[in-house]
Amino acid sequence: MTEARSRSAEPEPHAWSRPVPIEDYGFIGDTRTAALVASDGAIDWMCVPRFDGLPLFGRLVGGAAAGAFRMGPAGSPAVLARGYSEGSTRLETTWRTGGGRLTLTEGMVAEVAGRLLPTTLLVRRLTSDQPVEATIEFDPRLGERRRAPRVRRRGPLLVCSWGATAVALRTEPQVRVEPGEPTVVTVTPDRPVTVVLAVAHREPLIDVPPREAWDRLEADTKLWREWCAGIDDDVSHRPVVVRSLLTLKLLTYSPSGAPVAAPTTSLPEELGGIRNWDYRYAWPRDASIGLAAFLGVGKPEDALHFLAWLLHASRLDRPRLPPLLTLDGAHAPGERILDGWPGYADSTPVRIGNGAAGQHQLDGYGWVIDAGWLLVERGHHLNSETWRALRGFADRVAERWREPDAGIWEVRGDNSHHVHSKLMAWLALDRALRIAASHRTPSRTVQRWRTEREALTAEVRANGFDARRNTYTRTYGSTDLDAALLVLPLLGFESSDSDRVRGTIDAIRRDLGAGGPLLYRYPPGRDGLAGGEAAFLPCSFWLAQALAVSGDVAEARRVFDATIALCNPLGLLAEELDPSARRYVGNYPQALSQAALVQAALAIRDAERLERGRAARTATGG
Amino acid sequence: MDWSGWLVFGLVATCALTGVMIAAQLVGLTRLDIPLMLGTFVTGDPDRARVAGFFLHLIAGEAFAFGYAVGFALLDEATWWIGGIFGLVHVGVVLTAIVPLLPGVHPRMASARAGPRTTAVLEPPGLLGLNYGVQTPAVAIIAHLAFGIALGILLQPH
Repeated sequence: MTEARSRSAEPEPHAWSRPVPIEDYGFIGDTRTAALVASDGAIDWMCVPRFDGLPLFGRLVGGAAAGAFRMGPAGSPAVLARGYSEGSTRLETTWRTGGGRLTLTEGMVAEVAGRLLPTTLLVRRLTSDQPVEATIEFDPRLGERRRAPRVRRRGPLLVCSWGATAVALRTEPQVRVEPGEPTVVTVTPDRPVTVVLAVAHREPLIDVPPREAWDRLEADTKLWREWCAGIDDDVSHRPVVVRSLLTLKLLTYSPSGAPVAAPTTSLPEELGGIRNWDYRYAWPRDASIGLAAFLGVGKPEDALHFLAWLLHASRLDRPRLPPLLTLDGAHAPGERILDGWPGYADSTPVRIGNGAAGQHQLDGYGWVIDAGWLLVERGHHLNSETWRALRGFADRVAERWREPDAGIWEVRGDNSHHVHSKLMAWLALDRALRIAASHRTPSRTVQRWRTEREALTAEVRANGFDARRNTYTRTYGSTDLDAALLVLPLLGFESSDSDRVRGTIDAIRRDLGAGGPLLYRYPPGRDGLAGGEAAFLPCSFWLAQALAVSGDVAEARRVFDATIALCNPLGLLAEELDPSARRYVGNYPQALSQAALVQAALAIRDAERLERGRAARTATGG
Repeated sequence: MDWSGWLVFGLVATCALTGVMIAAQLVGLTRLDIPLMLGTFVTGDPDRARVAGFFLHLIAGEAFAFGYAVGFALLDEATWWIGGIFGLVHVGVVLTAIVPLLPGVHPRMASARAGPRTTAVLEPPGLLGLNYGVQTPAVAIIAHLAFGIALGILLQPH
């Protein structure tokens, strides 16, 4: 029989010893919002009612006053095991406590439509193999002002409310939890302690008994496993690929299909630095990369969902393609600093909103039209509205490719002639021409795209290539390199095994190498901002992809394996990795990094298939 | 009742409303696309949906015009400003009741509670249709004012 008792106790010192390394955080979500859970069982980040809402638990960047929700061992015991339940989004953390084990299993219920369930339902369960003392520390604070709630008790429910937002906490067995104070419970093997948090925003709270909530989480787990079973079996590194795809799914806001770049704001790109940005928005570029990832693993319906979002969301601005949009497809709000928020590891300011929204970024058009081409290449016919939208984007590129832009890295300040942007503009026109071959297009338009594509080719070869070092450069006339140029062998702009392509890959590895497989995206510090930055993780996967496509499969695999080895055991990736401290920095988990991982794995698979095919032909003398 | 007027001018007023909505879409003020929203009740192909939705919208427009005609007959007066007031009431109902409730009945529209298995691809419009752009309520008000004023001018009170 479970002994569940509660008592107040002094806060455990370990509970407030922040910051927890970013790579220590687990990630759970329901495709509408998400939470980051430290290995001590503390949820340090969770926004409601959706990814870009107000923080309910904001200690990650808001200090102790921003609230957290911890369930875990009473002391500071070591973590024995931590991981996701296979093929699902349910996180399990096990600690050794005395002679026994205490396990926290948690997740958020994703499928609530059609049932009387709250939109956000967090379920956490503690189990043990012998009687163990555990602590529950529930301290919700809402929004920028980190407001404490109005607290009431309604039967078994602890209700915390702030105007139109309310949360209800319920436990089984019943435990009296006081917000802001630790409560000690004893967990025994025969009955676990289950805690359910229901969130309501502009609607009544829905009370879900913990046992029913647990059943819903189990049902969700089954659905996730079914979804994972549909992923191609022949993908190399399948477990990390599956985890990346699950993370991409969790980062996709289901009501609109918007892919969120990351669920966090202001996790710094440099510890103690100022490079702290809000990534809780959707970048069309990421959507296109995600589309390619889902298409490559045999999930066309998810790929089409991304395209549907992209076309719907971009409608207000067409033919302009904004660099980023809100979850509803509106313009992202301007940047604002949260006063008094100490930031992660004293990295201030903490920002909300994103100032890159107004930038002119040419590369986005290339990613998006290429995504359309990928669908056409696989036999999908674009409906006339989709093709009309893509044609509008291609026309826009034909009109504006001669202008400088902010580039993929969204450097604040003066625009430049970024070679990567020009290459992606070339890609936009090239893929539009390929689609036009099977979709009705005025011949004058086709001719115009062709003319502009040829002009672009000539200009990039003349101004964007450093013949002395045999490499393409970051901007026209510059000697700096740009790791984004690793897309070069994928485009068809140059033959993938050409001397120029090999020269560019080699130069990037030489000049931007950060140790092992790691790469800086551009020479550190060359972005007009104070401080430096770390290695950009997607670039290492782009390197593996570039090597695979250009025929060096063994090296591609080596780079891929070495990069994976640097990642956290949960298979989650941040934006960057500090090459000396080997610590994650930047917003986390990041969709671009996870999608780049999938694409690299697919490129290696395809290259290995080609190699096997060649070997078989050689063996049979064909 | 001005029966022939109702049929003809109902059509004219619906076309005026549709014209305002399309113009607003073209200049990037809103993503609210009534023919698409109505037409996707019957087909998932956006091009076919727009055609079906256009005719469904005409039928709905005639039905609403009938309500206006009855209102004018009851008041025994039809002026542009009475039509405008009817239009404001009409748009109030559309934005606060009909549009936000659509996810509950529309087979291809997601709701704010949609999960990863949803096959609905149309984004929910939200209260006042604000998810389709912040100018959406203003555009809808102007379009419905045009509808009401047109009927107020063109319809006979009896």
